[in-house]
Amino acid sequence: MSSSLTEASGLKSLLQSVLKPASARGSRSSGLMRLLGNYGTIFALVIMIVVFTIVEPSTFPTLGNIRNVLTDMSLAAIVAAGVTLPLVAGDFDLSVGYVASFSGILVVGLLSNGQWPVPLAIVTAIGAGLLIGIINGLVVSKLGVNAFIATLGTGTLVIGLNYAYSGGMPIALTHSQSFTEISLGQFWGIPNLILIMATALVLLWVLLNRTVQGQHIKAVGKSPETARRAGIAVDGTRVIAFAISGTCAAITGVLLASNLGSGQVTAGDGYMLSAFAAAYLGSAALHQGEFHIVGTLIGVLTVAVGNNGLAILGAPIFTQYMFSGGLLVIAVALGSVSRRYAA
Amino acid sequence: MQPDERNTIDRGLTTAAPLVTLRNVSKLFGGVHALDDVSFELRRGDVVGLVGDNGAGKSTLVKILSGVFGPSSGEILIEGERETLTPPARAQRHGIETVYQDLALVSSFTVAENFFVGRERSWGRGPKLFQIMNRRSMTSTAASALESLNISIPHLKNRPVERMSGGQRQMAAIARGAFWGERLLLLDEPTAALGVRESREVLELVSQLSQRGLTMLMVTHNLEHLWSVCNRVIVMRRGRKVADLMSSETTMDEVVAYITGAKGPETLSSE
Ligand SMILES: Nc1ncnc2c1ncn2[C@@H]1O[C@H](COP(=O)(O)OP(=O)(O)O)[C@@H](O)[C@H]1O
Ligand SMILES: [Mg+2]
Repeated sequence: MSSSLTEASGLKSLLQSVLKPASARGSRSSGLMRLLGNYGTIFALVIMIVVFTIVEPSTFPTLGNIRNVLTDMSLAAIVAAGVTLPLVAGDFDLSVGYVASFSGILVVGLLSNGQWPVPLAIVTAIGAGLLIGIINGLVVSKLGVNAFIATLGTGTLVIGLNYAYSGGMPIALTHSQSFTEISLGQFWGIPNLILIMATALVLLWVLLNRTVQGQHIKAVGKSPETARRAGIAVDGTRVIAFAISGTCAAITGVLLASNLGSGQVTAGDGYMLSAFAAAYLGSAALHQGEFHIVGTLIGVLTVAVGNNGLAILGAPIFTQYMFSGGLLVIAVALGSVSRRYAA
Repeated sequence: MQPDERNTIDRGLTTAAPLVTLRNVSKLFGGVHALDDVSFELRRGDVVGLVGDNGAGKSTLVKILSGVFGPSSGEILIEGERETLTPPARAQRHGIETVYQDLALVSSFTVAENFFVGRERSWGRGPKLFQIMNRRSMTSTAASALESLNISIPHLKNRPVERMSGGQRQMAAIARGAFWGERLLLLDEPTAALGVRESREVLELVSQLSQRGLTMLMVTHNLEHLWSVCNRVIVMRRGRKVADLMSSETTMDEVVAYITGAKGPETLSSE
């Protein structure tokens, strides 16, 4: 039923105050804030590129390094673009990191222990992500559980599955070495990972901006009740958004396992935070506080360029954590400002 | 003579079943009787003004006709056939459209997008995931639908409605309702949030639609507005229908008396 639409738990209203802060139009500073909300992320990205180019002219702005940045960000970009869909629909999917870890463990386990053929193992691992996404969507829409809590719950369940399957130990890739070719290979000199990322982003962009389904996801995110009264199947729309998010997380998990050449129990966990940082940074790029695919791509690029520059500068590893964490906070703030001063 | 009969006699030539019939419809929210045993008929071409104090049940009645929720008891007949109207998509398939008091439009969508929201035109069949929207077709249809009603809304294909005036939004919402509503258009306080000039434009649009034969039920607080477009008045009080009169045969004073309870309900039972 629509209980999830009208429920007013403390946590939910807190989250919503972050997601959709009250409008504060008409103040003196709103012009500047709007500028920041629309271009803040792009501004930060350009500044970093300029600074790193000036400081490290021989290593940063090279074709080889651009290739590195794009390859390094490809996995994060796929998860981040995936979570963008539930975000557009108005829902958080906090399970993506755990789903990525699980699908990575699963695919290597099926290959090494089960000796499954590579395509079948991949399809099964991605299918697991799809299934978890559908379950997320059903729990959130049909049972009316707040998405934040629900996906934290299913995510924890997925950790359990992961440990049950792996015994908490990494799984080495003993057969099917060709599996690693997927992430290490190239096509026309372009790394496969970049090509897969580009394909995923284009498909998700088309889905969100050109298909009827994407239009319904946007409508539901703006106002579920308006969407329902316009005849849109709100529950089904939310389920599809979660299903896509779960699928993308699983694709990332499989690619990560291929990249590592093994299944690591917690390898994908960190993608949840980086995905949300990217999506929030992206919501402060161009579309006045709306989550959107191009914005998320800009967000991922911002995080990746920052980390790459810090690494080139030889900054100690802790600065990269501080950079990522700080960026997440700034991203959410920017996204909120952007929404507050929208329109 | 009973008001309902008067109405039928007025339109004595119509032999077909009424467009919409409500029979003993009640709606309970917890212990609150939002609607209490309401019955009436709408005939083709009727333009009914629905009035009553705050909390009288007007919006609830509109929502039951538009399929937002079903009645707790009683039945609804469409052209003589008993029908379920929930969810809203089903009411829409019966040709019933609604301009809600709030939540009428998706604020981030353009007028053209709002015209087709939930009913997008697309290439391809199968799952909505694989249906590519035909924006050009939707935009040109929305533009010509607005044009045929002499409504001019600039930027209808590239400006989100949240950046339009309340009047423009309301005109767009009503035009959309008229475009899709083959049987009945429900309007919940269409002039409530509007200024004088914008209200007049909305009322002109409503009477234009009425001249085209569209059946409408309009909730309003403004009796002047009601009299300028409606041929019939239904008065609600505390969930009950207390009067159902042809506007030509009553006065504003009488209607006010029904609204406030100064005048009691007539015997309205249809049996
Ligand atoms: N969704 C709802 N849940 C609970 N009570 C409701 C709901 N909608 C309306 N009501 C109650 O039903 C009564 C009629 O409300 P409504 O139909 O909105 O009146 P009106 O539109 O005439 O002002 C009021 O007492 C209102 O509080
Ligand atoms: Mg009302």
